[in-house]
Amino acid sequence: MENETKKAVKNTEAEGIKASASPAETPEAVVDKNSPAPKLKIERFSPRQLMELDACTRCGECSNWCPAYDQDQRESLTPRGRATLYKDIIDRQHGMFSADTFLGKLAGKKPVTIAEMDDFAKDLYACSTCMQCHYVCPVAIDTVELWERIRETIVDIGHGPLPDQKALTINTKNYDNPWAQPRSSRGRWAKMAKKKKRIKDVPKDISKKNAEVLYYVGCTASYDNNVEEVAINTTKIFEHADVDFGMLGSKEKCCGSVLLRVGDKVSFDRISTENIQQFNDLGIKTLVTSCAGCLKTIKEDYKKVAKMNFEVKHTLELIVDLIKAGTLKLKKPVNLKVTYHDPCHLGRHAGIFDAPRELLSLIPGIEFIEMERNRENSRCCGAGGGLKSGYPDMQNLISQKRVDDALETGATELVSACPFCYQGLQVGIQAMDAPIKMRDITELVCMALSDDDEEKKPAAEAASEAK
Amino acid sequence: MYANKLYFEATALLYTLSVIMILIVIAGMFASVSLWTKGKKPSLYHAINLPAIIKAFICDVVLQLQILKISFIRWLMHLCIFIGFMGLLAETSVMAFMSHFLSPDNAIVKTFFDYESGGGARILDVWGEVFGLMLLFGLAIAIIRRYIIPAKQLETISKDTVSILFLTAIGLTGFFCEGIRLTYPEYASVASYSFAGNFLAGLLKAMGLELMNYKTWVWVHAAISILFIIYIPFSKAWHIFVSPLEIVIDASERA
Repeated sequence: MENETKKAVKNTEAEGIKASASPAETPEAVVDKNSPAPKLKIERFSPRQLMELDACTRCGECSNWCPAYDQDQRESLTPRGRATLYKDIIDRQHGMFSADTFLGKLAGKKPVTIAEMDDFAKDLYACSTCMQCHYVCPVAIDTVELWERIRETIVDIGHGPLPDQKALTINTKNYDNPWAQPRSSRGRWAKMAKKKKRIKDVPKDISKKNAEVLYYVGCTASYDNNVEEVAINTTKIFEHADVDFGMLGSKEKCCGSVLLRVGDKVSFDRISTENIQQFNDLGIKTLVTSCAGCLKTIKEDYKKVAKMNFEVKHTLELIVDLIKAGTLKLKKPVNLKVTYHDPCHLGRHAGIFDAPRELLSLIPGIEFIEMERNRENSRCCGAGGGLKSGYPDMQNLISQKRVDDALETGATELVSACPFCYQGLQVGIQAMDAPIKMRDITELVCMALSDDDEEKKPAAEAASEAK
Repeated sequence: MYANKLYFEATALLYTLSVIMILIVIAGMFASVSLWTKGKKPSLYHAINLPAIIKAFICDVVLQLQILKISFIRWLMHLCIFIGFMGLLAETSVMAFMSHFLSPDNAIVKTFFDYESGGGARILDVWGEVFGLMLLFGLAIAIIRRYIIPAKQLETISKDTVSILFLTAIGLTGFFCEGIRLTYPEYASVASYSFAGNFLAGLLKAMGLELMNYKTWVWVHAAISILFIIYIPFSKAWHIFVSPLEIVIDASERA
């Protein structure tokens, strides 16, 4: 499998892994690179986070697991290297021995230059924020929170994010989605699915008609034609189980994950505050999403912004509840050999490891095989944290490693529970032309639904669908 | 009798150096902590969970089981350095306290400083040997992993090397002092308690180096130890205090 990976990436190897572009390569950055960089806003951190920079023992366990370092063996890419470099920058700008103090000059400290800051920023974004480093760190440093705060300070002084990441944040601010799609077409997938009889009806507009459950679709499943199946299957399952649900349609906004991950905290605070206000006003009991990134953001990050009056669940958690309650019955055998990829934001970030495995065990006929690296040690697909947009070549290579893991199990289906992982892993499958099919877990659930619905369909419709 | 047992002879120089050392250490700690306090965001998002803190302290700080899960040899190395250093620091601190703050006629002082007044002195001898050997054993593994057969994930910067050099020098000079002490005939009857020191004393005698100036070598040992303690808040060794704090905070937050 290693050979296949190597073959598929020969171009990137020849050129080396590069960022989409460096912040310093942008036209506005025509400045003397050796002049002192602006001071970082140290107040963005908590005292604990600044302490964490001292807590690193430099044992290097993180480098054994870091997916980015796995592809590009530069020390500055490791969590250890990042913490060491940033600590040095902070010390030189804000410490007792900072370059502008008498003691600092006595100790020979030099100001941090723009060139140094640029180099640091480029490597800072070569990270998928997968959180593997936290789980293997013997000191349990809360790494991803730390990286995200560091990114905020870098964005403050205009050295981040990388240009392609910046495009996503600008789109999110202008269109409420990173893909620069009009707000009005956010619910288009539902209308099309209804037209094609894939779902019974377009989910009700929850802002007009109350419902217990808000299905928060997320930007990727809403706009990406290749991933809209996730939204369609989720809707189909909810319809099947008679869930009282609705969606926001054109009024749904991005959860802001993309903003937070690359360090645009100001914009994230705005969009998250607006979203929380909107969600709270709906009077829902549960917000459900099929996207691991949205789940992590809404469940874990929003609670640091404001209080929410509803619970947040991933779709698969609700599906397990429905099956246990007897509302949803999975009768049809799905005779597939399946392996499961834990999305970083669902597993390591939100602690949801058991529910997907329980759901797979409830689907009749499935032969489930674990990959060697699973649960807390699941290998990242490389799509998160802005890595896919900032370092597409690196993401491709990381993804192929994960596809390799899946192929080693002998499974024919690679299943996950995140549209972003779906996209990310698909990159690897295509690059390797791997004999494995990428599926979202909702697709398997739909395959196991009883044939009742299908039987009800008029023959002409079924024929048209097949066509 | 035992005129050469001069570890903690209260001299003005030792007091002065100790005060300077403590002041620099406090200044170094203040420099770090004052930098931390420049962070204005909340450190904790949940109420403190005491059971989780206690569990993490025992399992991950004292026993370091999280390292054992990763690698036995790394666990052994770190535990030996950690326990060895802490054991020696505790011994030195207890002896310093007794000799400086208690009367020479105090029963406890007599027990621990006079071989004829109880077993305390023998216990301290064994204590020093065991923890000293642990420290050196751990350091030997560290040196092999870092410089001789480098472990894949290690990346050495000057701070790593300086800390290892300091600790090794402390351990070696400590045993050297003990070896010199045991070359003096008045300690012959109790030399077996300091088994490694006694072995070293034998080597020194064989090389014709017995009865060296013990006091000078104790000062060398003390000076290196003082320099290392001063270095702690500015070095990698600062993690001795900071890492346990992070471990228990994280355990409480995630509980």
